[in-house]
Amino acid sequence: MKATTKWIAAGAAVALGLAISMPSKAADTTVCYAFQDLSTGFWVAGHQAIVSTLEKNGVKVVELNGAHDANRQLEQVKDCIAQGGAGIILTADDGDSGTVVVAAAQEADVPIATFNRPPSDMSKGIVVVADNEAVARAAVDAMNAEAQKKFATTGKKLKPLILMGDLADPNAVKRREGFMNSIAKHPELFEKPVEVATKWNSQTALAGLEAAMTADPEIDFIFTSSDFLFPTIQSVLDPLGKWKKAGEPGHIILGGLDGDDGACKLIGDGFVDSTGVQDVYLEAELALTGILDAIKASEARPNAVKLDPGFALSQANYKEMADKTWGCQVLKSKS
Amino acid sequence: MSSAQLTEQRHQQGAPAARWLKRILLSDYFVLYLTIAYFLGVAVFFPALVEPRNLSNQLANVWPLAAAAIGETFVLLIAGIDLSIGATMGFASVAGAVVMTSAADKLLLGGSPLWGTLLGETGGVLANHPAAAAVAILVMLVAGMLIGALSGFFIARFRLPAFMMTLVALMFFSSAAVWITQSQNIVNLPDSFTNLGAGDVVSVYFGEKATPEIKRRDILPLVTYPMLITTGLAVLAHLLLTRTTFGRYVYAVGINRKAAAVSGVPVGRVIVAVFAIAGLCAAVAGILYSARLEGGRPTIGGGSALLDIIGATVIGGTSLSGGKGKIAWTMVGVLFFVLLSNTLNYMRLSAFHIDMVKGAVILAAALLDVLRTRLLQRDAL
Repeated sequence: MKATTKWIAAGAAVALGLAISMPSKAADTTVCYAFQDLSTGFWVAGHQAIVSTLEKNGVKVVELNGAHDANRQLEQVKDCIAQGGAGIILTADDGDSGTVVVAAAQEADVPIATFNRPPSDMSKGIVVVADNEAVARAAVDAMNAEAQKKFATTGKKLKPLILMGDLADPNAVKRREGFMNSIAKHPELFEKPVEVATKWNSQTALAGLEAAMTADPEIDFIFTSSDFLFPTIQSVLDPLGKWKKAGEPGHIILGGLDGDDGACKLIGDGFVDSTGVQDVYLEAELALTGILDAIKASEARPNAVKLDPGFALSQANYKEMADKTWGCQVLKSKS
Repeated sequence: MSSAQLTEQRHQQGAPAARWLKRILLSDYFVLYLTIAYFLGVAVFFPALVEPRNLSNQLANVWPLAAAAIGETFVLLIAGIDLSIGATMGFASVAGAVVMTSAADKLLLGGSPLWGTLLGETGGVLANHPAAAAVAILVMLVAGMLIGALSGFFIARFRLPAFMMTLVALMFFSSAAVWITQSQNIVNLPDSFTNLGAGDVVSVYFGEKATPEIKRRDILPLVTYPMLITTGLAVLAHLLLTRTTFGRYVYAVGINRKAAAVSGVPVGRVIVAVFAIAGLCAAVAGILYSARLEGGRPTIGGGSALLDIIGATVIGGTSLSGGKGKIAWTMVGVLFFVLLSNTLNYMRLSAFHIDMVKGAVILAAALLDVLRTRLLQRDAL
C-alpha cells in the first residue's frame, strides 16, 4: 500500500503543478445569471433578452438554474464569485432568499442586480422591478370600466376575486395592494373581495379557484396576479359555462398582470378584459446596463431601484398598445 | 513462441496491474484516492478550481451536508434508510425559527395555526430575549431527535420497512412545516443565530498587502462555526461507532439482525436510538442551513437535498446492505459530492443536467459497492 500511496502522491503533485501553472481566462468579463427555472413566458422572454444582449456585448454569460432551491442558488452564486464572476444578475425564489444572496455578493465586492423579483430589503443591490402596485391598479382600473357597464345593466354589486401570488415575493404583495386600492375606490360597485392563495403554483391556484367558485358561484370579477394562470382560470370556468367573451351573457370580467403572449391573445380574442404589462425588455436592459456600468466603474456595491412604470393593455386600447406589449411581440413572432 | 506461451506471458504481465487495481478498489481509502484523482484531473482543465477562494467556498458547502450525511450513515449501517431527513430539517428549521423570530408579518403568517399563541407581530415567545437563539437551537435538536425516534419506534416495534415509515414521516412532517408557516419563511432571526451560518472564527488572506485596504472578497474564511460544529459532530459519531458497545451493536444489527438478537443485542432499542441520532443530525443540518439562509424555511430539505445526502453517504462507501461504513468515509463522500457539484457548476451545466450526472455517479457508487462486496467474498473463500 505504501507504493500505491507514493504513486498517487507523485501523480497528485504533477497534476497540481500543471493546474496551477496553466493560465486562467480571468481576462474575460463573466456575468452570472442566476434564476429559478423558466416556468412562465415572462421568465423565458427575460432569460432570452438577458443572455442574448450580454453575449452581443461580448460578455461571457454563466447561467445558473437554482431549480427553486434557495440553498442551491446561494451555493451557485458563491461558486460564481469564487470562480471569477465579475457581476451577477439574480432572480431569486423569494424576497427573503434574494436578500441573503444580494448580501453574499456585496460581501464579496461583486456587483449584483435583481431582475424583476426584488429582495425583501430593496436598499441593497441594483433592484430592477416593475411598479407592481401601479401596474396592477391600472389593469384593475381598466376592468372597473367594464364592471361599471355591468352594474349599470344589472344594478347588482360585483363579487371580485384575486388569485394572489406568493406573498413572500414583494411583487405579489404589491400586486395585491394595487388590486385592493383600485377596488376600494368603488365601494358602490364591489362586495368584499375573495382572496385565493396560489404560491405561484397552477395546481394550488386550480384547487383554490375551484373551491372558491363552488362556495360562491356569484363571483364575476377575477384578477390573477400573473398571466400564466389564465389557462387555469379557463379550466375552471369552462365547465361552469362561464368562459365567455366580453359582451356575451355570463362573461366574467377577467384581468391579469405580466402582458405575456397568452394574455395578449386572450384580450385579442375577447375573453380577457385587461392585463398589466411589465416591459420585460426594458427591465432586462436596466439590469444589464446597471451591472455593466458597475463593472466598468469598478463599483463593487451599487445600490439603486430602477422602476419599470408599465401600463395596462385592455380591450379598449388593444389596437394602439399591442405593439408595445412584449407578449404581443412574442405572439407575432410565433405566428 | 506458441500461442499458449503468449497467453501465459500476457497473463503474467497483466497480473500485477490487476492486483494493483484490485488493491486500490478494496482499499479503505478508495474514495479518498478517487476524490484526489478527480480533483487533480479537473483542476488541469479548470485551474480556477484550485484557487483559494473556490476551495474555501467548497469547504463552506461541505459542512451542512456532512451533518445530515453523518446521520444517514448510522441508518445505513443498520441496513435501513431514512427518507425523512430533509423533512426533519425543514420541520426543525421552522420550529426553532418560531421561537426566536423578533417580528412576523400578519399578512404572511396570520393564517398560521400558531398565530396569536406562539407567534405574533412582535415575534415568537422568546423574541429579543438574550437566550432566544440557544433555546431555539435546543428546540430544533429535540424536534429532530423526536421525529427520528418516532420513526425508529414504529420500525422496531411494528417491523415496518424503514423506507415506508420514513416516507410517511417525510410526507407528514414536511406538510406540517408548510401548514405551520403557511409555506412562508420565518425571518428576523437574531444575529447570534445567523452568525452560525456565516461567521468566521479564523480568516486568511493570500498574497501581498499591496493596497492599504484588502478587498473583502480576498479575505477567506478558514475556520468557521459550521466547520467546528460538524467536525465536532463527526468526531463524536466516530467515537460512538468505534469506541463504544453501542457502536458494535450498530454494526451487528446491520450485518445480521437475527444473529444480533440471538447474541443479546437489544435490536429494538438500537434501531430507535439510531433513527433518533439521524434526526438529531438532520436538525444540526437544519440549524446550519437556516442560519446560512437567515430564516426558518419549511422547504429547506426539499428539492434534491435527499439525493445529495444519501448520495454522498453511498459514494463514501457506506453499504446499502448494512454493516459496512465509517464516518470518515462519509466525510470523504461528502467532499467528493461537493467537489462534483462545484465542478459541474463550473462546467456550466443546467440544474437538471447536474442532477442527472449526480444520479449516475450515485448509481456507479452503488454498483461499485456490489463489486467490492463480491471481490471480498471471493477472496474470503
